[in-house]
Amino acid sequence: MEQHVVKLTDAENQLADLLQAAGAADAKAALTANGLPTRRIEEYHYTDLRTLLREVPANLAKANDGLPSEQFEDFSRIVLVNGALVHADTIDGVEIKSADVARTVGHDQIINLMDGFAQSQIEIVISKSIETPIHIAQVHDGANSVAASKVNVRTAKGVEAAIIETFEGSNESGLRFADFAMDVAAESNLLHIQLDQNAKYARQFVQNRYDLHEDANLRTLVTHSNFQLGRTDIKADFKGEGAHADFGGLNLLVGQQHGDITLNVNHGVPNTTSTESFKSIVRDRAKAIFQGKIIVAPDAQKTDAQMMCQGLLLSERAEVLVKPELEIFADDVLCAHGATCGELDENHLFYLMSRGISRADAESMLIKAFLAELFDEIENEQVHAKLENRVDAWLAAAE
Amino acid sequence: MAAVKETIDQVKEIDVDKYKYGFKTDIEMELAPKGLNEDIVRFISAKKDEPEWMLEWRLEAFRRWQQMEEPSWARVDYPEIDFQDLYYYAAPKSTPGPKSLDEVDPELLATYEKLGIPLSEQAVLAGVEGAKVAVDAVFDSVSVVTTFKEELAKAGVIFCSISEAVKEHPELVKKYLGSVVPTSDNFYATLNAAVFSDGSFVYIPKGVRCPMELSTYFRINEEKTGQFERTLIIADEGSYVSYLEGCTAPMRDENQLHAAVVELVALDDAEIKYSTVQNWYPGDKDGKGGIYNFVTKRGDCRGKNSKISWTQVETGSAITWKYPSCILRGDNSVGEFYSIAISNGHQQVDSGTKMIHLGKNTSSRIISKGISAGVSQNTYRGQVSAHAKATGARNFTQCDSLLIGDKCGAHTVPYIESRNSSAVFEHEATTSKISDDQMFYCQQRGLNEEEAVALIVNGFVREVLQHLPMEFMAESQKLIGISLEGSVG
Repeated sequence: MEQHVVKLTDAENQLADLLQAAGAADAKAALTANGLPTRRIEEYHYTDLRTLLREVPANLAKANDGLPSEQFEDFSRIVLVNGALVHADTIDGVEIKSADVARTVGHDQIINLMDGFAQSQIEIVISKSIETPIHIAQVHDGANSVAASKVNVRTAKGVEAAIIETFEGSNESGLRFADFAMDVAAESNLLHIQLDQNAKYARQFVQNRYDLHEDANLRTLVTHSNFQLGRTDIKADFKGEGAHADFGGLNLLVGQQHGDITLNVNHGVPNTTSTESFKSIVRDRAKAIFQGKIIVAPDAQKTDAQMMCQGLLLSERAEVLVKPELEIFADDVLCAHGATCGELDENHLFYLMSRGISRADAESMLIKAFLAELFDEIENEQVHAKLENRVDAWLAAAE
Repeated sequence: MAAVKETIDQVKEIDVDKYKYGFKTDIEMELAPKGLNEDIVRFISAKKDEPEWMLEWRLEAFRRWQQMEEPSWARVDYPEIDFQDLYYYAAPKSTPGPKSLDEVDPELLATYEKLGIPLSEQAVLAGVEGAKVAVDAVFDSVSVVTTFKEELAKAGVIFCSISEAVKEHPELVKKYLGSVVPTSDNFYATLNAAVFSDGSFVYIPKGVRCPMELSTYFRINEEKTGQFERTLIIADEGSYVSYLEGCTAPMRDENQLHAAVVELVALDDAEIKYSTVQNWYPGDKDGKGGIYNFVTKRGDCRGKNSKISWTQVETGSAITWKYPSCILRGDNSVGEFYSIAISNGHQQVDSGTKMIHLGKNTSSRIISKGISAGVSQNTYRGQVSAHAKATGARNFTQCDSLLIGDKCGAHTVPYIESRNSSAVFEHEATTSKISDDQMFYCQQRGLNEEEAVALIVNGFVREVLQHLPMEFMAESQKLIGISLEGSVG
């Protein structure tokens, strides 16, 4: 990338000052040299942060012991407030500790900010299978502030575990960064779900990284519905043969919300399989973005990757922008991608209405049916119910 | 699944070292001084005896071009082009402009004959009655002959070189030139606007169905020259035209630049079919030489119920950078893009289309097949977008790619942008979504799924390619034979 001399916006200057205060001089230097990502940077084609991030908080979030409101009965719980570990249940076979943050500076300024603002990183080592899911409750507390968290999960061979992360914040126009990295060990079977429950005007940037080893199995789901501006950057790397992963995601947006899910799946070794299923439902002037890229390395024969992204536009001015990309260097592979965008099918509505169902109910039914596929694979009843409640609440709010 | 043997053999048939059009014509040429500056632009304009306004247009584009940067977003890789190390004008001394057939240098006629392009109006294709094709033959920087002009004139059709049009039909050229691809559009289009030397001009008047196929045959011959042709086709209300383009070049060790601009304008109820068989020299098997094909092609469905259809068969060029697009401005307008891109050897293809839906109830269809072999890279890059006012926009896209060997790459980069809730976009790269009815019909008659898919898709492509004239048919036939087995989405 060529280096241009950038005239920084007020927001960029403000972020640079905050990075300085957070002790991240390298990230500050990178930001002042390049500015925030614009649409000219392909990964941010539809999310131009120079225009979208015009106002940023004035302070760094302070250590705090605010309590999360999201509850799951019987789940083990780990609580992070403003990125710092404040509580962890004792879980048999799981080690949880807070370590010094290891910062790196790369070409992506958002990732640099994520690392730069983080003050510690939480290391979770799962050495044996656990039956009850782990709930990582991430709270962002403190008005008008920036917070960042880093969570690293490692598992032992053959482990089964489920991790449910929730993001919540009382901070009206906060800015939060969250980095999650998971090493999916050989033969392990893991589930990772992220539910966002931010305040209305919050801005959130999340990065999820997964390394998959031999015969590992992973299922993920991210939801985007509670923020003003949100972006989740998913990067998965297949490093062992026989691994399989299912990636799912949902943009459920209304008003002026802007949700961006960017996915990069790298099939680097032979005999790995993945499915990608991403859905967007937008109302009013909301904007849903999905950029998915599947890369099949030259010797990654017998890769099977199936990507699907679907958009449902419920208002005239809503937008769905998708870019399902394939980059294939091996000849004996099966890769497919599909994309659809449209409104609810009038015929389907007519069918239901002719049976005495009101238009509003018929719409709700069809919307739920549209999403069912995404939720069906989530077996845990509590999580499943939370997902459905979220859709119900969204539908109710729109009426 | 991997490609079947039959397909592999078919692709080998047209491998880079089998290039048939690599001979060169020895003919005395007049060249402009090497390099590019305002004087060269003036030189070209003077050679063409152009009016002042045309020169001004070129100079403005040139000044703009100097401020621009070469685009780098495409997935192609090549050493930096030295724009000062090229000749921007090369014309045969004997035929420095369009002439009647009798006056054309026999050497040139022989060249076209060798390429299988009959320039004599009497030459009718063997066994095909009434298959007349009017040809505009462009040799390096000039159009050497345009056939069937009189017969076309009877129907009111204007078919001539663009340099003639500038002089004889300035009102049409002024009105439409640069109205689809503005001089500021992109680096290569701007360069083209400054130095374009020749190309074809077509005007089909109101309500006229063009009585024969029109075609332009581009030949690059001279060393170290760039070819910058400009084509402008205007289909007035209710008219129809089918236009074909062919291109070849001799085998040379150095890379040659071809930066063309094609503009199509379809007014109310008009239809333009534009077909290309792109067969530029692709370079040798080690990737030496070959044409850099950096082309801007765009059609503007300006009127309601208008239709523009692009068909392309791409086998040549070292590098292809080309996105024939449709701006669907008129209500109910239709855009189509059918493409087969085959890359062999060290070829790099970054091609696709844009369908920009602006009007109401516009529809578009994209069918793209990419096949890469050798150590080539083949990228489909496409954009489908619906403007907020494009109520009822409809798009269907299907792009399949096939890899032969494990040293090549096939890539798909679609941008799908829906800004209107009633727009319905479908994009698929699987072979399973062909109409269930058709599949059922075939399978019920004993074909297996793969055979059925191949039959249906090839049948569809064949239907499109049937619109190509007989000259191009033989070449295309080989390509159509390639079935879809082992498509990888």
